Parts: sequence; C-alpha cells; structure tokens
Amino acid sequence: MIKLIGALMVLVSASMVGWQISRTYVKRPVQLRALLVALQMLETEIVYGLTPLQRAFFKVGQRVNKEVGNLFLSAAELLEQGRALSAEESLQKAMMRHWPQTAFRKQEQEVLASLAQVLGSSDREDQQKHLRLAVTHLRGLEEEARAEQDKYEKMYKSLGFLGGLLAVILMF
Amino acid sequence: MDFDLTPVFQIGAVGFITAILHTVLKQAGKEDIAHWATLVGFIIVLYMVAHYVGDLFTEVKRVFLFK
Repeated sequence: MIKLIGALMVLVSASMVGWQISRTYVKRPVQLRALLVALQMLETEIVYGLTPLQRAFFKVGQRVNKEVGNLFLSAAELLEQGRALSAEESLQKAMMRHWPQTAFRKQEQEVLASLAQVLGSSDREDQQKHLRLAVTHLRGLEEEARAEQDKYEKMYKSLGFLGGLLAVILMF
Repeated sequence: MDFDLTPVFQIGAVGFITAILHTVLKQAGKEDIAHWATLVGFIIVLYMVAHYVGDLFTEVKRVFLFK
C-alpha cells in the first residue's frame, strides 16, 4: 500500500514538473503581447500626449498585466527618486530587477535595452521611430513564441508524465 | 512451478514507454534527442536482462557442476 502511494507521489510530482516547464511556453506569448501593447501606449503618451517619461511609464505600467507592468512601474519609481538616474539607467535597473519574474528571454532584453538608449534622450520623431522598430521586432518574436508554444507545450507535459512513469516502473 | 512474471512486465513497460517517448519527441521535431532516449531505454532494458541472464548462468553452474 505504501509502495503504491509512493509511486503515485513520484508520478504526480514528475507530471507537475513537466506542467510547470510547459507553462513558461504558454506565458511567453501572452507577456510578449502585453509588452507590445505597453510599447504602443508608450508611443501614444510620448508622441501625442507629450507626457513626461516618468508619468508615461507609470500610466503604462498600471494598465498592462502585472508581470510586464511591474517593469514600467519600477522604472517610473526609479526615475521619480531622482538619484541622477537617466531614463536608460532606470529602465535597465527595473529590467534587471523584474526579469526573473517574466517568461522573457535574452532577445526581448536586447530589444528593450536598445530602446532604452533612445527613450528620453532624443526628439519625438526619433523616439517614435525606435518604438515602432521595437514593436516590429517584438511582433516577430511573438510569432516565434507562438510557434514554439504549439510545438513544445504538449511535449513537455507528456515528457514529465512519461518520465515519472518510467521512474515508477524501474523502481517498482 | 512458480515463476515471477514481474520483471517481464517491467521490461515490457519500459519498452512501451520508450516507444511513446520516441514518438512524442519526434512529433516535437527533436529527432536527435528521440534517438538518444530510445538508446537510453534500450540500455536500461539491457542492464535488466543482463542481470537475469547472469542469474541463469549461476543456476546452470549450480545444477551441472554440482557446486
């Protein structure tokens, strides 16, 4: 009886590991979409609203979903504290702080980092151009992420379950 | 004659799971990893079989060499 319970526990935990890994593949396209929306809102704020960057970050951060929003909110906070941080530095710092909580990869980091160099340090048209460029990049990444989700989500789920089953049978 | 059938089923199940694993990995386009998984499954089964064949040899020795 104890043996059976142990086997069940191994099986369940292995399935959970597989499920957790597959979750990152589900989250990435969702968060990429949120980031896209955020950048488009930022464009509106900068080009048409002429909002100061700190307030624009704050507004955007409040309106998109939590993981992505936190990035902008903490960038706004860092700007507000005014310890002589430039827009780029504060965005970089916010990214470093909140990156582990997102499902993003290195490519998104590069896109955001190159965008951060321009934000708040050039005129409207230039910033708009770079925002559009970043949005195009992120669109491509989103498509890629969706293809990856279709491919790997199911695979990791069944891989976890089958791995657990294998371990159980070998030990039984 | 009482013969324990558990190892037979165990080996069969490992083979079965390895086959499914191979299919799943192949569907996901990771053929190289699929082949490695099959190889690992094969080695596990080989190890188990070698164990029982070793038992068989000692048994044969015991019966025919009177030790």
